[in-house]
Amino acid sequence: MPILSTLIWLPIAAAIVLAFFPNRAETAIKGWGLFTSAAVFILSLGLLRGWADGHAGFQFEEHVSWIPQWGISYSLGVDGISLWLVLLTTLLTPLIFLAGWNAIHKHPKEYVIAFLVMETAMIGAFIATDLILFYVFFELMLLPMYLVIGVWGGANRIYAAIKFFLFTIAGSLLMLLGIIYLGFRAYHELGVPTFNITDLYGLSLSPTAQALLFFAFSLAFAIKVPLFPLHTWLPDAHVEAPTGGSIILAGVMLKMGTYGFLRFVLPYFPESALRWSTLLITLSVIGIIYGALVAWVQPDMKKLVAYSSVSHLGFCVLGIFAMTQTAIEGSILQMVNHGLSTGALFLLVGVIYERRHTRLLADYGGLARTMPIYAVFFVIAVLSSVGLPGLNGFVGEFLILAGSFKTYPVAAIIASTGVILAAIYLLWLVQKVFFGPITNEENRNVPDIAWNEIAALVPLVVFMVWIGVHPNTFLKKMEPSVKHLITVVGGQPGGQVMVAQKGGAQ
Amino acid sequence: MTLHPLLEPGWQYAVLPELILCLGGMLLILWDAFFPRAKAALAPLALLVFVVTAWSERLWVKGGIWFGGTYEISPITMIFDLTFLLAGMLALLFARDYLDREGIEGGEFYALLMWGTVGMMMMAKGLDLLLIVLGLEILSICIFVLVGFHRRIPVSNEASLKYFLMGAFATGFILYGTALFYGATASTNIATMARWFASNNVTPLLTVAFVLLMSGFGFKLALAPFHPWAPDVYQGAPTPVAGWLSVAPKAATLIALVRLFDAMGPVLPKVNWMNMVAALAILSMIVGNLVAIVQHDLKRMLAYSGIAHVGYMMVAMLTIREDSVAAVAVYTITYALMNIGAFGVVSLLMKNENDPHTLDDIAGLGFRRKFYGFALALCMFSLSGLPPTAGFISKFYVFKTAIESRHTIVALIGILTSIVSVYYYLRVVYYLYMKEPAEGYEISSSGGVFATGALMIAVAGILAIGLFPTPLFQAAGNAARMLLQQ
Repeated sequence: MPILSTLIWLPIAAAIVLAFFPNRAETAIKGWGLFTSAAVFILSLGLLRGWADGHAGFQFEEHVSWIPQWGISYSLGVDGISLWLVLLTTLLTPLIFLAGWNAIHKHPKEYVIAFLVMETAMIGAFIATDLILFYVFFELMLLPMYLVIGVWGGANRIYAAIKFFLFTIAGSLLMLLGIIYLGFRAYHELGVPTFNITDLYGLSLSPTAQALLFFAFSLAFAIKVPLFPLHTWLPDAHVEAPTGGSIILAGVMLKMGTYGFLRFVLPYFPESALRWSTLLITLSVIGIIYGALVAWVQPDMKKLVAYSSVSHLGFCVLGIFAMTQTAIEGSILQMVNHGLSTGALFLLVGVIYERRHTRLLADYGGLARTMPIYAVFFVIAVLSSVGLPGLNGFVGEFLILAGSFKTYPVAAIIASTGVILAAIYLLWLVQKVFFGPITNEENRNVPDIAWNEIAALVPLVVFMVWIGVHPNTFLKKMEPSVKHLITVVGGQPGGQVMVAQKGGAQ
Repeated sequence: MTLHPLLEPGWQYAVLPELILCLGGMLLILWDAFFPRAKAALAPLALLVFVVTAWSERLWVKGGIWFGGTYEISPITMIFDLTFLLAGMLALLFARDYLDREGIEGGEFYALLMWGTVGMMMMAKGLDLLLIVLGLEILSICIFVLVGFHRRIPVSNEASLKYFLMGAFATGFILYGTALFYGATASTNIATMARWFASNNVTPLLTVAFVLLMSGFGFKLALAPFHPWAPDVYQGAPTPVAGWLSVAPKAATLIALVRLFDAMGPVLPKVNWMNMVAALAILSMIVGNLVAIVQHDLKRMLAYSGIAHVGYMMVAMLTIREDSVAAVAVYTITYALMNIGAFGVVSLLMKNENDPHTLDDIAGLGFRRKFYGFALALCMFSLSGLPPTAGFISKFYVFKTAIESRHTIVALIGILTSIVSVYYYLRVVYYLYMKEPAEGYEISSSGGVFATGALMIAVAGILAIGLFPTPLFQAAGNAARMLLQQ
């Protein structure tokens, strides 16, 4: 059984079956969602079992011709760059259903269907090795997320949903034009129509064309990341989205942007990427500092976490455009870290919101006494996000900063203050919410965290510690692919076919 | 000028689809006259006629050039015939439930739909400008009546009169342009004109002729700036008719234009006629998409969106190549499915037909009538060109063709206006799923087997073309190659 196809199609098949469930069978609906997504996660672990260490290219490849006239194929494959992102996706989806077990009562069937379709789209985008196939999945995930924010979101959900959709579609449609042009050039140069990701490496593009394409692609991914100053949709979307939506949005969807930079922008337009890397690094450093400062002054917990995402994703982009082995590895690891720790934080904010229906810091204080277990989880998630040594965040940020110091020392130094700022605003959050006297009487009798929420948090905490203590499990698998990527971008003698082609074109 | 015997042996097989449709229409009128109580049989009979016609296309029709070089039957005309039949069938199915609800069902409705289809088939197959005009007039007369078919409500009458006055005026332009073409090239036959164009230089007279012709066809296509009739007419016309009207006549006009542009091929590099067409396309995309944003009436919104979509199709036609013809064919089929589907859902809303059908009427429909809501949402996604729908594939094809023909700027404008269009298409989805209907104001919707079946066809078609476009591409590509080889 082809494992990658199964991973893609199982969630959507489950969603189609679910469409025939009676509306009232809420438990059965949620149970089905949890069961099938957990099955997908267990299946995805098969990727690790069959993984060939030391292999840089795509593994578990599948190729089926899809639209032969245009050279579009249904091609799948995972490499060290996408492996952990796929696993992150399959891990987070069942946790969404678990965490939302008691929270979602409005149209539960449609809710579960939306998330299952989203899972298909997200996995598909990470493992597609055909540019058009990637684009199809990349767009497909917008629709369910639009519905999730718009139907199950907060008071200002419509504005947030439309803003989210328009921002992302504006970027991706321009990218589509770029994709078509790239395919056109490939046909011209190679003589056969193709949209295969690796076939398009090393095309000889005129400097103008390369710069234009670089900006078309970068815009799409920078909106998705989101990079300062394109981030304004993110706080709105996060604040209005239901907890599950926020977790997937922050945990996986933002990574589409950073993944896109790694998979497409760097290898397709290496000269432009080198030329404009200062610009992108500047923007990401601004994002790191700006996100942190804005997070600091947020009165709303969810908004605080949302802005911290802007800051943390800035680190990822910094690592990518620093273009050293260490920085890129750190960046990929940090994508996973951010998914775990921010996912956990959104989940925890959702837990308290459901009990108290407020997210304002001012309404809390001294919660550690009424909700001790909750407080423990919250502190772990915060420390992971802050980058405490021994937890995952430290490893990622350290690798990024150490790696980018070699190429962009000034940026690395400024960015490292972002780590300090993160400690300030996150510990500030913990202090205000959990410690001090109980000022608000309503906080005295808040029930502590429930079984399903604990069950959703435990796996996250396990991975936070695992990555923090033994990051090599994860780094080892991505190393060959990253090395290969750097040869493609830098054009160093690596004996790769693409490098030879590019050299010939210069 | 040599005279050909007009009726070559075997001619019946060449025009078999047209014959079946003509006779079928008469049969339905007679049926209604003789059995006024058996109205329930009308729609199934009409459907049967359409299906038999589609069947005959495959089985018995003989390809080739007929009637003294004026009538061409080839794979591309077959694809367009099937598109017209598909559009007619979908319209018929939606109309059945609509007319039944409104109490105005009659055999003549279906007959007019069939005869209109005959007119379109003539436009698609005609190799002579006069024949194309003749087809266009047959079609237009049917449309005048169909638009005014809901004759007891004022808006329907108003729409019919508007379309009649403006349409007659536009036909005048086309005829005048044809006359000038005849004056310059001494023929109205497209093949003869093509030979003339290949060996002669353009005179100013021809430019005038081209402008007149494009103005007339621009009207029929609802290209900006010849579009203002479209929103009014769609709003007033019975909704299934509006859906059909927004698709089928445009397809017929486009294929006629493809022939004309192809014939002019040799002179086009020397004149700036295509810049004119490009300007019309750009203007349509901009005007259609921008004005649609402020529409609250669903039918008017779809009218403006239709103006934009014709703009996209014209983008593909700026350079006539194999791909551009195939792209237009694919786009029209897709457009037939998604636009008639969207109008179809609107036609199911139970309200006074004299009132506008606004966005408020579909508030919350997505959770109340799940299939209708889903179908409308899917049509909207497809219209906005999002994968994995047919709309994405078609738009991709059009822009790919444009880029390959070096019309990058026009393609860029198309993409930018598509971004704008996402806003108003998504607003429909927002009303469907995220807005509660106002207190005490809940528009119910009705649809029997016919309308539901039509929606299923539309949904299945949109997804099938979106996911597995290869067979359609192959058919369209081959057909386009054969058309351009002649």
